[in-house]
Amino acid sequence: MATAKDLRTLGDREVVALAKAGKEAAYRELLSRYERPVFSLIYRMVRDRALAEDLAQETFVKVLNALDTYRPEYKFSSWIFKIANNAAIDQLRKREVDTLSLDGAPGARTADEIEATALQAVDRGESPLAELEARELGSQIEQAIGKLRPEYRTAILLRHVEGRAYEEIAEVMDLPLGTVKTYIHRARLELREYLADLRT
Amino acid sequence: MTDKQLDAGDLDLTVLRELSALGSFAPGRGFSDRVMARVRLPQPAAVVLFRRAGSWVMQPRRAVALATAYAASVIVAVRLGLPWLGAHAPALKLGIAWLGTQLGAVGNAVALRVADWAIQSGAAEAVRAAASSGKVLPVLAALTIGYAVGGYGFYALLRAPRRHDALARS
Repeated sequence: MATAKDLRTLGDREVVALAKAGKEAAYRELLSRYERPVFSLIYRMVRDRALAEDLAQETFVKVLNALDTYRPEYKFSSWIFKIANNAAIDQLRKREVDTLSLDGAPGARTADEIEATALQAVDRGESPLAELEARELGSQIEQAIGKLRPEYRTAILLRHVEGRAYEEIAEVMDLPLGTVKTYIHRARLELREYLADLRT
Repeated sequence: MTDKQLDAGDLDLTVLRELSALGSFAPGRGFSDRVMARVRLPQPAAVVLFRRAGSWVMQPRRAVALATAYAASVIVAVRLGLPWLGAHAPALKLGIAWLGTQLGAVGNAVALRVADWAIQSGAAEAVRAAASSGKVLPVLAALTIGYAVGGYGFYALLRAPRRHDALARS
């Protein structure tokens, strides 16, 4: 029986095979391998720690409960990053749709409804979580990443933070290789401009 | 190289350096336990089958159907079986006694003795009379049809999708 130490020496495919055979230690090994990269990607995408944790949890539950459907000819990392990225992008789209105006939700009729649904200006400094987020994502480069389009953000994070190959990023994002290269190039240009602005 | 080009090159290098220096974030404490609590670990097929059968039987609708079918079969058996047993008690007693005495016999001797007994005792005549009176065949037919219908009912129940299966497919 493979111990936790043995599992660390195995590749993703072998660990997945052991997990499929019902070894709980293999599930935990996959979790420990990917919890930081997956959480970091989602957190930098949605920029909200609690939400990122929920989405990361959903990603892992979805992946680990569907191991039977995993096809070993693909990289496990591509699969999990794809699901994580889709979860983050869906959330960002949902947030765009759900964004309420300062005058309240479109359906709000009465004064009470308008007040209840109007966007509240929150003093982020009051919440310890918000303070933590401001500290974690407060560096100039993190701020600049936050200003990128979500697709550029995914591409640049996977390439330069997670160190993934262009081919794998293309697989994760379901895009042609050339498009991924273009996204990364443009993202770097935009980051350069943001940083130049910040430093002047 | 102009100052502007130099600045752009410097900034590009800075961007790359800062990107590669970015650390990773860790989720909160207990994250993996929360995930594992929601993960279904694969189990041996026999355990899965037993659990599925258990949960299937324990669903209220099916439990009621099974109990009703069981009660109905017992009532039918008692209602039809007891009078028949009473009516044929002498022949049955004779048959049981004969079976007890004849268990040791084998082959042709047994077959010959059965035939002889059937003729001598009048059992063959009794069976022929019962069959010709039209009582035995309808009862046997009703029982057969009843069990066939019951069996098909269970089959249909087994095939009916459970609510959460239907939800999972939608």
